[in-house]
Amino acid sequence: MDQESYKVIEESLIREVAAILSMDQGSVGPEVPLHEMGLDSLGFVELLVIIENKFKIKLMESGLTKNDFRTIRSLSSKIGAMK
Amino acid sequence: MIALPYSRNKRYLTGIDWIVHVLNYMTMRETGAGFMSQVVIEVAGDLNAFVVDNVLNTFIKKHPIVNGCFSRDINLAPYWKISLDKKSEISLDTMTLKGDESFDVIINSLEKGINTLFNNKKEHIAFHILTGGGKSYIAMTFDHLLFDARNAEAFLNMFQKGWEGVEDSGNMTITEPAHLSMWMDKFKAGQRVNRAFLQIADRIPPRVLPLPPGKKNGFKFKILSFSRKVAEAITENAFNQAGYLMLMPYALSASVSALHEIFAGRGFASGNYVIPVSIDTRKKEEVKRQVFFNNVSFFIFKVEAALADKFPELLKSVKEQMYNQVKADLPGDICKASLLMRIAPLPLLGSLMKIYLKGQIASFSFSYVGETAYESSCFMDNKIINIFHMPRVPVPPGIGIFFQQSKESLNVILSYLDGMLTDEESGKILNLLKSRLGVE
Repeated sequence: MDQESYKVIEESLIREVAAILSMDQGSVGPEVPLHEMGLDSLGFVELLVIIENKFKIKLMESGLTKNDFRTIRSLSSKIGAMK
Repeated sequence: MIALPYSRNKRYLTGIDWIVHVLNYMTMRETGAGFMSQVVIEVAGDLNAFVVDNVLNTFIKKHPIVNGCFSRDINLAPYWKISLDKKSEISLDTMTLKGDESFDVIINSLEKGINTLFNNKKEHIAFHILTGGGKSYIAMTFDHLLFDARNAEAFLNMFQKGWEGVEDSGNMTITEPAHLSMWMDKFKAGQRVNRAFLQIADRIPPRVLPLPPGKKNGFKFKILSFSRKVAEAITENAFNQAGYLMLMPYALSASVSALHEIFAGRGFASGNYVIPVSIDTRKKEEVKRQVFFNNVSFFIFKVEAALADKFPELLKSVKEQMYNQVKADLPGDICKASLLMRIAPLPLLGSLMKIYLKGQIASFSFSYVGETAYESSCFMDNKIINIFHMPRVPVPPGIGIFFQQSKESLNVILSYLDGMLTDEESGKILNLLKSRLGVE
């Protein structure tokens, strides 16, 4: 995948996380850990469902390692690599 | 449908509120007291009961909704009739501590408050103060007809904001439509909920602990309080074993695993576990707007007994079920479908709720209340040491495990009807929970 495609995924995830947390998109940083932004188990599972619907990738069974899922940037890379 | 003019002293009940009324009815019938809970704030220093009483009375009088009661409208929709009588005083009792009491003794004293009936049908809040030995506990016993756990914290937060001179109730809403439209949407949600429950139901009832004899049993509580440092270690264990941000499935799996040992110890060999998990789907800002009534919904987990002592498989099953229920929006469907149930009288609905699980409701209750709605680090001018909850669990099942975070601690609360567990069993559950959470 090219850099532009990763950027599109990242922007899409920022929109979704902002919606789940009722935050302004500008306050959602791609490098900020999701738990520090206030995402909990329920919000995170909601995000995984959105990712499945949007990118046709089911991540729940992937191990959900902290390194891959901790930030929007790392999550975008994971999705990009799986697409 | 008859359109009624909006009334200032009326707040329609949602379907979830109605389910809470049913649980209250069932618990009252089994134990003589209702579906109540208690939020306890432990503070440094002595609280002056006279001052607390005065300030609380002034605050409560601004919120006549707390002195309401259930009624039915001409269109049959149930509603909360808000009392405009501002004469009623809050109930507050005090007790002096010597200062050398163990935490268990303090919990025993706090149990008296949560196991005491309200004085009348319009009383839904009572306060208790324990003070002495350089610290105090203020407990607000509340009726779940009025608040869920997070809203109770939000209510006390509103009180504290007022004390600090920051009135923060400007955006609060207490209105609710009668929800007497979009019937097809509700019926379709009802169909989906029905299918989900049929999938959970087995041919035999789920595993449950027998209720003790007698109708006047109070609730007992065992509480584990973990410091921030230990709570962070638990979170890290959850992330490593269950996956990033999977703290709720991890805590639920640990609870199933711990309780399974008690069932196994008693020789239970048939039936699986069914666990309703209450969740708050609101955003943080919505908690400030909707301080009263119940803003929760539910997941319903079924755990095969054969998986209960295989932790990795148990975790996998719980995570899968959570994912599938979020994907199917089961909590949303329960909210919509429950609006249809409001027509049913409480005894009838109580019986109907037991049909799916062959006369039972659940094996135990579980909830995980994450971020606290109480924002200040003080209660009045006293520094907070901890905030924890003491919920009476609906009966049946009469037993539950609750995880709840305050700014200061992670608390794990085992709540059970007196006589359901021996002291040895309740102690064993706490030890097993510590072990499963990796903090022995």
